Amino acid sequence: MRLLVTLFGLLLILAPQMSRAQSAQVSAALIDDAVLVTSSFTGAKVTVFGSVRGGGTGNTDIVVTVRGPDRPAWIGKRKRTAGLWIGEDRVYFAAAPTFFGVASARPLEQIAPKDTLSLYGLVAEGQLDIARRSADAPQRKELEAAFVAQRQRDRLYVEDAGGVRLLKGDLFRADITMPDRTPPGLYTAKVMVFRNGRPFQSTLSTLVVSKVGAERLIFEFARDHAALHGLIGVAMALLAGLTASSLFRRFAPA
Amino acid sequence: MQVYLPIAEMAVSPWLMASLGLIVGCLSGIFGVGGGFLMTPLLMLIGIPAPMAVAAGANLAAASSMSAILGQFERRGVDLRMGLVISLGGVVGVAIGSLLFGLLKSMGAAEAAVRIAYVVLLGTLGSSLVWESLRAIARSRRHVKPQSHARKTQDLAHRLPWKVKFPRSRLYISVLPPLLIGIGVGILSAIMGVGGGFILIPALVYIIHMPPNLVVGTSTLQVLVTSCTTTFFQSVANGGLDLVLSGLLIFGGVFGAQIGVMLGRKLKGEQLRALLGCLVLIVALRLAADLTFIPVDLFETSSPGGGL
Repeated sequence: MRLLVTLFGLLLILAPQMSRAQSAQVSAALIDDAVLVTSSFTGAKVTVFGSVRGGGTGNTDIVVTVRGPDRPAWIGKRKRTAGLWIGEDRVYFAAAPTFFGVASARPLEQIAPKDTLSLYGLVAEGQLDIARRSADAPQRKELEAAFVAQRQRDRLYVEDAGGVRLLKGDLFRADITMPDRTPPGLYTAKVMVFRNGRPFQSTLSTLVVSKVGAERLIFEFARDHAALHGLIGVAMALLAGLTASSLFRRFAPA
Repeated sequence: MQVYLPIAEMAVSPWLMASLGLIVGCLSGIFGVGGGFLMTPLLMLIGIPAPMAVAAGANLAAASSMSAILGQFERRGVDLRMGLVISLGGVVGVAIGSLLFGLLKSMGAAEAAVRIAYVVLLGTLGSSLVWESLRAIARSRRHVKPQSHARKTQDLAHRLPWKVKFPRSRLYISVLPPLLIGIGVGILSAIMGVGGGFILIPALVYIIHMPPNLVVGTSTLQVLVTSCTTTFFQSVANGGLDLVLSGLLIFGGVFGAQIGVMLGRKLKGEQLRALLGCLVLIVALRLAADLTFIPVDLFETSSPGGGL
């Protein structure tokens, strides 16, 4: 069950300014700027609609990124000492995006050189903010690469070279899929326009992923009343044990 | 169908969780162990962050042992006084172990020593359990009178001070051995992150010389006390308790425990010990394999959600 956002309407506030034909205009809007995490949440699809108008000639590329809230993180590599796997080398990140999705109409490396992409925040590796205590770690490069690979496996860092579709006229549509593990928080969606491999214009919008209903109640209760929450856990266990035991005694007497 | 876990911040299949609970609960019912040594790694394999996996395993153990112990009480299979003495030792041991854990972590070599010692301990324990019980089974096949585990009067436990009567077990021994065993199990569970029920059972049989029909019930009581304490402290200290996750596990676990108790009643004491020995050996082999083989995943990462 995919939480499919079905909201119509919206977008494109286009002010035709023929006199400034040379300066291109990018407009974009999210189909839905809120993703609700309910008990059946298994991920969501973020859809951005937009248009690029006017402005010179050449190859136009549209790259859309959706970035989740940053959180501290770490990665460890197990190490071998005297033939035994004991302990690990760890690298800590002060902040790493919890979700980082990039969608484009063709592979990123065809759009712009790697350093340009990195400079404009389109490469996951460049988004990791290493903690001060790990800055000089000898295995830093290897562990950073492994961290990104791990999150790519979990579909948390995605690069979709077919995620942007060019529609009729100047319209485009971008879809980015987020897995169930994307945590709640404030997400930003950025639309960048490249022309002939150079960044040209961008717009920024935000969306909120938030827990609602029972999920929110439980989460807030656990955070605000930790001791009571623990006691409820214990009480639930004891009560369930009691119930099952008496059920069995009634229906399956020894 | 998938259900979203509000604290672990991910979706899981409720049927899979209930089945896991059923299997582990069944083990608790048969042997009187908590099953954390099985549950925690399984949950982490699914991708649940470590603090949530530990808390959910403890919560499941609390429910399964509660489910199992009521039947044990009814059949007079629990030595309440002995169980409480051991549990008291266990709580003290967990406190000592938690302090030791921090200390050991700061010294890399000590961690290695503990892990190797643990593998050796479990290995010897498991193989001697299997060996001894197989011999007992062979003896009973030849209709030889079974060797009694009854306490010889010149035992250390009789000579130590602070003697206490344990009427249900028909023992009049020093309170120190059960207390020390409780402390030892508590320290081990704090350091190794498993409940240690499967160390307690052989200790009750071979050191305390408890009557065999009381061993499983008394161990279940200890698991009940320890797991309730662990659930509470994991929730308060780490915020790891996910009520939806443990609810799903418990749903399967409480019924599994009942099935386990029924199965366990059909087993003789030596068969029970042989099976437990196999279980301990499997755990030891797994830990040993962890130490020696190239790990499947060299890398370990924090989860994107709350569990750092």
